Amino acid sequence: MKVILPDQGIRVMEHCPGTVGALLHEIGANPLEVIVSRNGKLVPEEATIGRDDEIRIIRIAHGG
Amino acid sequence: MEPHAVPGESPVCACCAEPAVVYQPVIRRYLCGTHLVRDVEERVRTTILETGQIHAGDRVAVGLSGGKDSTALLVILSRLLPTLPGASFVAITVDEGIAGYRADTMRAAKSLTQRLGVDHRIVTFRALIGDDLDTLLIGRETHACTICGILRKKALADAARAAGATSIATGHNLDDEAQSVLMNAFRGDLPRLVRTTGTGTSETFLPRIKPLMAIPEKEIASYLFVQDLFSVLPECPYTKYALRAEVRALLSDYECHHPGTMQHLIESKKTIEQYCAGTPVMEPLHRCRECGDPCSGDLCQVCRLRHSLGK
Repeated sequence: MKVILPDQGIRVMEHCPGTVGALLHEIGANPLEVIVSRNGKLVPEEATIGRDDEIRIIRIAHGG
Repeated sequence: MEPHAVPGESPVCACCAEPAVVYQPVIRRYLCGTHLVRDVEERVRTTILETGQIHAGDRVAVGLSGGKDSTALLVILSRLLPTLPGASFVAITVDEGIAGYRADTMRAAKSLTQRLGVDHRIVTFRALIGDDLDTLLIGRETHACTICGILRKKALADAARAAGATSIATGHNLDDEAQSVLMNAFRGDLPRLVRTTGTGTSETFLPRIKPLMAIPEKEIASYLFVQDLFSVLPECPYTKYALRAEVRALLSDYECHHPGTMQHLIESKKTIEQYCAGTPVMEPLHRCRECGDPCSGDLCQVCRLRHSLGK
């Protein structure tokens, strides 16, 4: 599974956490501060993810 | 089990069978892209109508930074325009002069206003005070958000008046509002906690309205993303100095574990406002002895800042 991180870094994960929420927990991202797409489509934290998916995590909280 | 979520399967919209794009934890509901867009726009329309934020004949100056919140605000207002008889909009962008940050958001703001056909004015800190923010902040970086906030508010208000506006709309969302309540509580700043900016007259302050105040930040980003309107933009380099960044992290974490926390904070503020109604918690309004702007003391914040900056 390919994960594009908020800093545009790419991580290829051998194992699959199962859901978007589990993935965010694993990488330490707060679900309220990001949105996540699976193969280009926006998905909620409860969406399932598979080994062949491309997941993109986008940071939304900016500014002072 | 959560509604419309089956373990091992991706959740679907509570209103149709389409795949969900967002979950609203407080009301335990999933929505697809189409219903999210409809829901967000309806809640903004309800906020505007219930709080009387926009009236027939109003000319609303929309503070457009080019970031996601102000982009969503202008998109939604332009769509609601036919239901707001006689109202018109002008978008105002303040270019603070922040290298490596502002150029991208300026481009986004220009592109959006051209696409929507909205009158767009751009004002700069250089025109307001003679220097860009980066120069003003040399040696004062830790005060970046305070200095920027004072000047941006002044630039926006002056431009709004020059454009003939009757009110100023900003893209503050539910998260921003909850953060402000907590920040003011942390500072022990009761006057600021209960101060309302939604009323006023053209002789004092232009009323400031917040049509997105009921919409969580995540839903605003999702609203834009499902319509291909979301752009990944650079982060302001001065964010690291902001108290708000710390409060945001704290509150996001708490909201994540206890959904509804942000809404409860805002309701607490409203309750305190009701208890304080009629109580003089704020200093009476004066006129600044140098520029004549309304202020609470002898000098307004902008003139005090000019002095401290040697401007």
